[in-house]
Amino acid sequence: MTTPRGSVLVVGGGIAGVQAALDLADSGFYVHLVERSSAIGGSMSQLDKTFPTNDCSACILSPKLVECGRHLNINLLTLSEILSLSGEPGSFKVKIRQNPRYVDVEKCIACGSCAEKCPKKVPDEFDLGLDTRKAIYLRYPQAVPLKYAIDPEHCIYLKKPGRCGFCEKVCPAGAINFKDTPKEYELEVGSVILALGFRPYSPESLDFTGYKRLKNVVTSMEFERVLSPSGPCMGHMERPSDHQEPKRIAWLQCIGSRDINRACHGYCSSICCMQAIKQAVISREHSASGDVDATIFYMDMRTYGKGFEAYYERAKAEGIRFKRARVHTVCPATGDNLRVRYADEEGKIREDEFDLVVLSVGLETDPQVMRLLHDMGIEVDADSFAETTCFRPVETSKKGIYVCGALAEPKDIPQSVVEASAAALEAERLLHVSRWTETKKKEFPPERDVHAEPPRIGVFVCSCGINIASVVDVQAVTDYAWTLPGVVFAQNNLFTCSQDTINQMAETIKKERLNRVVVASCTPRTHEALFQETLREAGINKYLFEMANIRDQDSWVHQHDPEAATQKAKDLVRMAVAKVRGDEPLPYNSVPVTKSALVIGAGIAGMTAALSLADQGFPVTLIERKDRLGGHGRKFFRTWQGQQVQPYLDELVQMVEANDKINVRVKTTIEEVSGSVGQFKTKLSDGTELEHGVAIVAVGAESYKPREGKWNYLYGKNPNVHTLLELDQRFIEDDQGLSGLNQAVFIHCVGSRVPERPYCSRVCCTHAIDQALHLKDLNPDMDIFMIYRDIRTYGKREHLYQKARAKGIIFIRYDLENLPRVSEDSGGLKLEVRDPIVGADITLHPDLLVLASAVRPRDDVGELSKLFKCAMTSEGFLLEAHMKLRPVDFATDGVYLAGLCHYPKPVEETISQAKAAASRAGLVLSRDAVPAESITAQVNLQKCTGCSVCTQVCAYHAVNMDPNTGKAVVDTGLCKGCGACVAGCRSDAITLKNIGNEQLMAAVEAAMEDF
Amino acid sequence: MFFATLEGLRRFNIPHKFEFVSIISLYAKWLREGRLKVDPAWNKDGLKFTVQDPCKLVRQGLGDVVAEDLRYVIKKVAGEENFIDVWPRMSNNYCCGGGGGSLQAGFVENRRKYGKLKFDQLSATGADVVITPCHNCHTQVIDICDFYGGKWKTTHLWNWLEKALVIDDSGVQAGKD
Amino acid sequence: MQEKNIDLERIRAAVKQKIEEAVPEAKINYCLTCGLCASGCPATGLEDMDPRKFLRLLVLGQDEQILETNWIYACTMCQRCKYACPMGIDVGRIVYEIRGMRPREERPRNLQRSCDLQRQNNSTGIPNEDFVWVVNDVLEEVRENEPQWKDLTAPIDKKGATYYLNQNAKEPTVEPEEMVPLWKILHVAGIDWTYSSEWWDGANYCLFTGDPEDWEYTVRKQAEVVDSLGCRYYINTE
Repeated sequence: MTTPRGSVLVVGGGIAGVQAALDLADSGFYVHLVERSSAIGGSMSQLDKTFPTNDCSACILSPKLVECGRHLNINLLTLSEILSLSGEPGSFKVKIRQNPRYVDVEKCIACGSCAEKCPKKVPDEFDLGLDTRKAIYLRYPQAVPLKYAIDPEHCIYLKKPGRCGFCEKVCPAGAINFKDTPKEYELEVGSVILALGFRPYSPESLDFTGYKRLKNVVTSMEFERVLSPSGPCMGHMERPSDHQEPKRIAWLQCIGSRDINRACHGYCSSICCMQAIKQAVISREHSASGDVDATIFYMDMRTYGKGFEAYYERAKAEGIRFKRARVHTVCPATGDNLRVRYADEEGKIREDEFDLVVLSVGLETDPQVMRLLHDMGIEVDADSFAETTCFRPVETSKKGIYVCGALAEPKDIPQSVVEASAAALEAERLLHVSRWTETKKKEFPPERDVHAEPPRIGVFVCSCGINIASVVDVQAVTDYAWTLPGVVFAQNNLFTCSQDTINQMAETIKKERLNRVVVASCTPRTHEALFQETLREAGINKYLFEMANIRDQDSWVHQHDPEAATQKAKDLVRMAVAKVRGDEPLPYNSVPVTKSALVIGAGIAGMTAALSLADQGFPVTLIERKDRLGGHGRKFFRTWQGQQVQPYLDELVQMVEANDKINVRVKTTIEEVSGSVGQFKTKLSDGTELEHGVAIVAVGAESYKPREGKWNYLYGKNPNVHTLLELDQRFIEDDQGLSGLNQAVFIHCVGSRVPERPYCSRVCCTHAIDQALHLKDLNPDMDIFMIYRDIRTYGKREHLYQKARAKGIIFIRYDLENLPRVSEDSGGLKLEVRDPIVGADITLHPDLLVLASAVRPRDDVGELSKLFKCAMTSEGFLLEAHMKLRPVDFATDGVYLAGLCHYPKPVEETISQAKAAASRAGLVLSRDAVPAESITAQVNLQKCTGCSVCTQVCAYHAVNMDPNTGKAVVDTGLCKGCGACVAGCRSDAITLKNIGNEQLMAAVEAAMEDF
Repeated sequence: MFFATLEGLRRFNIPHKFEFVSIISLYAKWLREGRLKVDPAWNKDGLKFTVQDPCKLVRQGLGDVVAEDLRYVIKKVAGEENFIDVWPRMSNNYCCGGGGGSLQAGFVENRRKYGKLKFDQLSATGADVVITPCHNCHTQVIDICDFYGGKWKTTHLWNWLEKALVIDDSGVQAGKD
Repeated sequence: MQEKNIDLERIRAAVKQKIEEAVPEAKINYCLTCGLCASGCPATGLEDMDPRKFLRLLVLGQDEQILETNWIYACTMCQRCKYACPMGIDVGRIVYEIRGMRPREERPRNLQRSCDLQRQNNSTGIPNEDFVWVVNDVLEEVRENEPQWKDLTAPIDKKGATYYLNQNAKEPTVEPEEMVPLWKILHVAGIDWTYSSEWWDGANYCLFTGDPEDWEYTVRKQAEVVDSLGCRYYINTE
């Protein structure tokens, strides 16, 4: 390959595409992000809350979208589609067509006047048709780019020029361009990442669900919109027929999933169980009275992810009803209500009435996406998902083209984010020699020293279209700002964030020689960075800036009292002005990066991560506490797709050992860690001291051995009782004795989902079923029974469950109130269990009893987590920074995690996560220095008494006692500016820069002025 | 039973030259073509009609298409506004309980318990007339109506179609030739 | 209800196997035991059985219970379970096979008799001459009593008629006047049609007894008759 391109094409602007784009753009690659619709955000932007954290989906997604939209090295191509792709890894040629928006994005200020005037109402696809939008529209309120678009399918003017055209007349920015035409681009990129997502299954053809036939039957995706504050009911939970709040809601699971009859989707959609529980929980929160009667009808409750089982248990405890039953038909009842008749597990017929029925619909690949994959020559599987393998989980059938998210298999957001980073890693690995060759760099003018200047404050009051101005008298606020001490300039703008206003603001700062700026507009969450950058462009320090949120915290919440709202806006501006007056310029801190990594644990995760970094030229030290490489993977026979693990592992070990960038140290552990991101210093058990910029923790987990107690089942007492991994060992050794067995029985959930270990071990259902199938292959006449609680073969693994049943493997369900009983009976084993369906006890006589025992965290993980200042879950697994969107980062910068130490997971997810961790680590290693917090704590040595309370309360270990002075010192590289030390200090000796008493009291006093 | 012949021809691969059709499809076709003309004016009292979808004809036979035809004919005959549909309906309708030979098999108690669901469903419509285009359904629906105290009249479709027929010269003449 | 304990030293699900051999698409093993079938089945609870439990007993090899239960006659083989079953399992078809496994003499007498009669010609057993006589007699009466229908016809064995019409045997036997409305409709529509004097019965109870040979025989006979008349369409009246 000649020198590859340093740019990457990412197709699909959902959370996976956005994450991949950000990882790549932040580590030295130029990204073209292509999105079919008018805004990025994908399916996640349509969700209300997300499980298991109940975070607002839009709230956690928005910052990433904003970052993506503003990123210098991301070329956002909305309304665009791929026309053709040719070339090879390192050098692909892509033809893209960008359809006309008919709105000039440079001019549009998203004021909404156009949509207000537009006479044409059309079904709003973002709200799944539950509501209407106009022919000129914003995809959703937080859309990125925040620019309107005209829908040519419905625009009256575009259909019949000469008619209508109101939008053009009312647009204050002259942004409407009816003459816009499609543009074609030809791009050259080194690699392609496909993140095309899924579409929800439409149950319209399933007449028995009542969908599209009975008004109050909705899909789960529609219900997300019903719950969403930006949805058709503004977040007030309403049912379609009469807009009343439903009091009794039923969820029907597996609509369009695990169905080879009507839906032709044999796979499990993986997310719907948790989504239904979440919706049930949230529906109670949304309900005015809070007494929603929520019932979930299901086959197997698949809460297999981190924190999921606890969420499920909590929902049960809160009174959400879980019915292991399937409704055949939804029937109408009086008053638009719905009646369902169902057989309980004992076969008894029951009837219930509901106000609303939610169909938990599955995920499928959009046929349009199928065509694109076909044109690109990407192979798809029988379920129409992009084909991948367990050992190459983000690689498509075409070299240089990678896949992430639900396009490869239904999956949740964290797993999509993991894969996005993993796909980015593969592109980085392929193109690393061309890092930083195509990226742009922002240059700022030198900053004016304003220390000696008296405050010259400029105040910019935003109308936000009509968002603020329709309630707040913005002119009065502007006039008032002029009267405040230090203010030398004040101005009202229609949209302060529009490009022309921003440019003008920079000019004003220079012309008026402003040295402090206040913007009274919306929220700093989305706009602070934009305005701060404007300050830098105008040559002043970005910390000389304050925002007054007169929209979210004023005009939006006091719509009915404009007078008071205007007064409040003045108060907020006065406070911001008072505070900014005391603000000082702060340094832009950064930490130089030691460009090497430490990887702890040489299992599949650790070795994969090490290779992923070493292949990009970063030196890696890989340490392993045992005397050989391989970790837990040494115990596995094969993946659920049938690939043998041992040969793969041998190859991996060989590659690691042959790689001269990887320094392998076995029988080594960690003694001490100091420093922070970019500059860690670690002391190993062999006495060496390492300097490294990042660390990846991949220390694995253990298999639980039920030697005694309730889950013992004669394990360790009868030679024919094994754990799954012990049976794998017999498979690896090709034990001939297995084919002579008459009856094998597997007990699931041994030590998982029990009070002392309340989580699901995620891997055991699939693993056990695969083993049972292998036994069937060895001896087709063997009788095999699986004693289970819920079968959790999520995603495509469901095919394995189906195959097992087809082969005559019998599944018998048990629950904790009715445990299987194992005893010895005339030399053999005897197992008794109640079959709930025939209502009879079944006695089995296994020659082999296999216990699908839990995956448990290692006992020593706690110490390691302390060394790296990482958090742990109550179950003893390591805790990532954010369960949804930062699945491989720790809260401690520069430290990442992968594999079983995070949570039980199969090989393919371990590999993805290891690659993702490497990609995240690459964000640091690819730079000479990483930015550090500017707003840090500072110690007033005169006041410090050396009591050391600050060192104890700091969660980041950033405050230490100086042994020489006996006073506290702050490591600005570690300090996050959280203020815990400030609050803890009894001597008033620690302050946060620009958030000290001086500035805050000034703001408080300003607030009290009028009283 | 429609399915007996339809499926029999298919399953046993019986050679035949004819096309196997349902009278219901033909009624609808002839009405659409104007070959049959009907007028619901006879239904001055606004008798309400509902329907039983025979499993053998609909779910196992021609599916929703013939169920739609059935409804089309009834609405034409009785007046659009006088038709009240059941739920579940068409291909997803309940069996009346007279199918599968149960009217002959002799387990009367089971058959009636089975039919209770059908009885409740039909009662819920409040209809005066239940159209049963299958003889098994006809017999069973009459029986459960009697047994559970229903108030409707159970009939074939042809009686009402005959009643609503508009016989102009062209119609009768056609038959003469 | 607590059933007897089931001891499974070895599973010998002979009945299941027999069905799988006869009906390769039966997919009994695929059952997820989700109970969707039982929820939608009007026969759930009859004979302390439901479709899911029935499949479960088959899978567990409880053949005695399967062969004994009269639930196979409570199930009307309506296939509503199959319609929505995620695995598309056809309990009706399975029930059909098991009905066939019952010795003829142990089957419900009237049901078997209907099929036996059908094999001879029609399910009620009236002689073909009686059918011809009744049709002609009723036709005669209408033509005499209702002057506007004096031209009404009810052809039998009319070769080359476009349409062949069958006739449920119930009408000629117990309520012959019920045949008339259809004749009138066909007349008004100007349809060229015919009955046949053999194999004219529109019902077919051999579909329910479980012997495919009987079913095949009766349908074959019908097909032969219709083809021999040279009709293009075979109208089923129900």
